[in-house]
Amino acid sequence: MAALGLRARITTVFGLGALALSASLAVATYELTRSSLLDERERAAVRAAYLDASFIRTGLGGEDPDIVAALQNLDTGEVRRPLVRREGQWFARSADNGLTTAIPPRLQSLVDSGTPAVQRVPLRDSSALVVGVPLSSVAASYYEISPLTELERTLGVLRNALGAVALATTLAGASVGWIVSRRVLRPLASVADAAGSIASGDFTARVARDTDPDLDKLAVSFNRMVDEVSSRSDADRRFAADVSHELRSPLQTLSAATTVLERRRESLDERTAAAVDLLTAEVARFESLVTDLLELAKSDRPAERRPTDVVALTRAFAASRRLPPEVLDVSGQAAVLDVDPRRYEQVLANLADNADKHGGGLVRIGLEVAEDRLVLEVDDEGAGVPLDERDLVFDRFARGRASNMRGGSDGTGLGLALVTQHVQAHRGTVEVLDRPGGGARFRIVLPGSPS
Amino acid sequence: MPRLLIVEDDDRIRLSLKLALEDEGYAVRDVGTAEEGLAEHKATPADLVLVDLMLPGMDGFDCIRALRRLGDVPIVVVSARDDTHDVVAALEAGADDYVVKPVAVKELSARLRALRRRASGSGEGDQKVLRFGEIELRPEAGEVLLGGEQVHLTRTEFRLLCELAEQSGRVLSRQQLLDRVWGYEVYGDERLVDVHMGRLRRKVERDPANPAQLVTVRGLGYKLAP
Repeated sequence: MAALGLRARITTVFGLGALALSASLAVATYELTRSSLLDERERAAVRAAYLDASFIRTGLGGEDPDIVAALQNLDTGEVRRPLVRREGQWFARSADNGLTTAIPPRLQSLVDSGTPAVQRVPLRDSSALVVGVPLSSVAASYYEISPLTELERTLGVLRNALGAVALATTLAGASVGWIVSRRVLRPLASVADAAGSIASGDFTARVARDTDPDLDKLAVSFNRMVDEVSSRSDADRRFAADVSHELRSPLQTLSAATTVLERRRESLDERTAAAVDLLTAEVARFESLVTDLLELAKSDRPAERRPTDVVALTRAFAASRRLPPEVLDVSGQAAVLDVDPRRYEQVLANLADNADKHGGGLVRIGLEVAEDRLVLEVDDEGAGVPLDERDLVFDRFARGRASNMRGGSDGTGLGLALVTQHVQAHRGTVEVLDRPGGGARFRIVLPGSPS
Repeated sequence: MPRLLIVEDDDRIRLSLKLALEDEGYAVRDVGTAEEGLAEHKATPADLVLVDLMLPGMDGFDCIRALRRLGDVPIVVVSARDDTHDVVAALEAGADDYVVKPVAVKELSARLRALRRRASGSGEGDQKVLRFGEIELRPEAGEVLLGGEQVHLTRTEFRLLCELAEQSGRVLSRQQLLDRVWGYEVYGDERLVDVHMGRLRRKVERDPANPAQLVTVRGLGYKLAP
């Protein structure tokens, strides 16, 4: 039962309830009908047997009577079979068809001792009533066997009818359970829908109020929770936007002002020129650091997937970086895939930057596009990444031996962390391997659909 | 010397951009509010306008709309905001391009040059007339007619239409269009193409929701049906 859903359980309970009720009603009905029919049948059989017995008694009255003739003279209808036992011998209308063996010895001894008796016995496939009447005056016993075939057939029909009714009732009960549970669970379904919309970023989703006070409580508290969460998330977003604005604005001034200085570098004395170079380089680093940080702060949002020609995008990227054509290694059947083009381009750019700055130079960009996913490989010819640092390189501001070695002063330490975030937003995977022939190989797998 | 108007409320950003862009060969005038910017542009029309979005008083979006009503001067938004919502709203208001601060002066200047470029195919002198369904395009005269009636396009919209017309019947990817119209060398913002295409459709299509001529090819880009 634990594995069954609430709705299945409610349905099962309704079905079982209906089954118990209808089955007990059916059994009671059957038993009552059966016993009353049997009683009636028995009374009729006994009455008939007494009547017939009195005829036989008369027939056996004389000296050396013809018992078989007396039996044949009896009008017993089609079904009753008369038998007479006298002086240990059986007499019947025709050859014995095993009728005598159907009469139990205990019944015989009872009748022989002068007591009339009736018993239900099995007879061939069905059963029969045996009525025994002692004929003491003529020193004989009269038996009459009435097969119950007809009655059993009637009871059989009744059994089938009751069984069918019980089955129908059970099914009806189960369907009522199914319908009722849908009604009962409808508020849960609408809460689930709303929660789904909220999870995918739509904070306007609310649950409709219910007329039922018990269910309305759920709707009200759920909506209050969403209000709370969405106002907090709004505040977070506003804060992030403010931070972003406050960081970007002074950087714009720095960037433009250093450009003015840089332009006049030739006319500056050596010391000033050196200072301008430092300033320019650090402003550039600060710029990419802020850009990466802000990007990282919002990269946990869902990917904005759209049909994208990733092959064309990769070629355009290679062209913009002035990469020699042999660096690009494109294969696969497809070219268009549902991915976030902005994120894909950043993955490409950050991996290429990483290869240039820390990997001794980019040597290959491998792109294999299938119908449902792409595999991107960016190879460099550096020292590779030691096994024990392969997870660390994806951390923010990675500070391992490898990163020191890769160190330099150019990188922001966020490039590969951003790659990881972008890949995760697509539910893809990223790993670093050894490139055959030395160097590192960063391998990205992006599924082409959100599932 | 092209005349450039900077509308930016941050004094230091405004001054640094003025210095750097003067180095790039622009005659720069700079103002701190949208109202001053509009007055300045009315007095002496600029060839290019840079607009910040967060301005005291009238905001950047309204400033763009007001400038658009005055003519088709190329407008570039230089904003610290990079929300899709802001980008699309600014482009819908009529901006031609959108860059996020901090933007390198070299890049900004390349964008400005691209927006100043004339429609390709010009200069041949002959009065070429191209027809696409109900659309009639005269690249040299800079005219577009829809069913015989003149339609007013901004310079960027017109260039977008010309690029598509030049490759008529062939699909151009968003990236190619960015490259040709906006001069983006590296991967650019595809929203720029989509919003401009929407604007263009509203002007030259009878039913912009079901375009007959300016068709989207899913996953690939756009084409102009012959």
